[in-house]
Amino acid sequence: MGYANSDHGDAAPLAVKILIAGGFGVGKTTLVGAVSEVAPLRTEEYLTHAGVGVDDLDGVDGKSTTTVALDFGRITISRELVLYLFGTPGQERFWFMWNDLVNGAMGAVVLVDTRRLDVSFASIDFFESRGIPFVVGVNCFHGVRDRTQEEIRRALDLDPQVPLMLCDARDRAAGRDVLLALIDHLMAVRTSGTPHSAT
Amino acid sequence: MKHWTEGFDDDDAGESLVRPYTITGGRTAPERDDLTLITLVATTSAALPGNGRDRRKMQPEHRAIVALCERPLAVAEVAAALNLPVSVTKILIGDLIESGQLRARPPLAFAQAGGTPELAILRAVRDGLRKL
Repeated sequence: MGYANSDHGDAAPLAVKILIAGGFGVGKTTLVGAVSEVAPLRTEEYLTHAGVGVDDLDGVDGKSTTTVALDFGRITISRELVLYLFGTPGQERFWFMWNDLVNGAMGAVVLVDTRRLDVSFASIDFFESRGIPFVVGVNCFHGVRDRTQEEIRRALDLDPQVPLMLCDARDRAAGRDVLLALIDHLMAVRTSGTPHSAT
Repeated sequence: MKHWTEGFDDDDAGESLVRPYTITGGRTAPERDDLTLITLVATTSAALPGNGRDRRKMQPEHRAIVALCERPLAVAEVAAALNLPVSVTKILIGDLIESGQLRARPPLAFAQAGGTPELAILRAVRDGLRKL
């Protein structure tokens, strides 16, 4: 593996990323902040104008261009490896326009709120359709566990192989455990060869 | 000195979309398409003061990037630190790679291929997370 021996003059570590997804207000940035070694950073991107020529300023100035913001954090795994966590923009339609955000993600955590399961449907659809492995974290920050895991699975129409776990996005250990569940899932996927059967 | 982004007004979104591109000389697309959000960029020894390069002649944003990247940073981190959109930041970083002042370390190949990372990397991430 290339990253273990960085003594060939290339001092920069390798970077990997995990997406933290889910609908608006499910606690994505909270989770990023709970496990990140730095306060969540915010960056913006202009979408739809990519590839617009220099002379085509109409495209840049026009209303068709959207500014989308995302929050992200960083966990230094080792001297050779850095993990970035990107909280995806709440409106999934932007992800399709933002290949750079999704490409190269190891996998994703989809956060759901049992009071508003529907706001995370689109995230689940997105990762299923792209074959990107993910786990579901049920954010219980409001202290209400009014549904069983089985009920939530059914409501989300979740593939049986997709791990689902309860968590508190504010809690560092809980956030870490969700990420570990994703890594375990990725290892299982790697061994079995298929992310999940839903296509 | 006030940074040019101060005074940005959300009510004036139409104008604010164009203004960042004035620091790229009007370029709206990077000349290189291999920079990603998590490409790590680091300053090279060629960018060190005294290596024949006069930092005062550089654009302030280029200077800021060279200073920031004395430790490796992801493109997204540079964008956040400069408070510039990712696409604008990529153009500026591209300039500095072109001039040899920055070096880029792209993410692993699985990233582009859409596959799963190799077990060794997954294990390393797992072991690192367990120490959190």
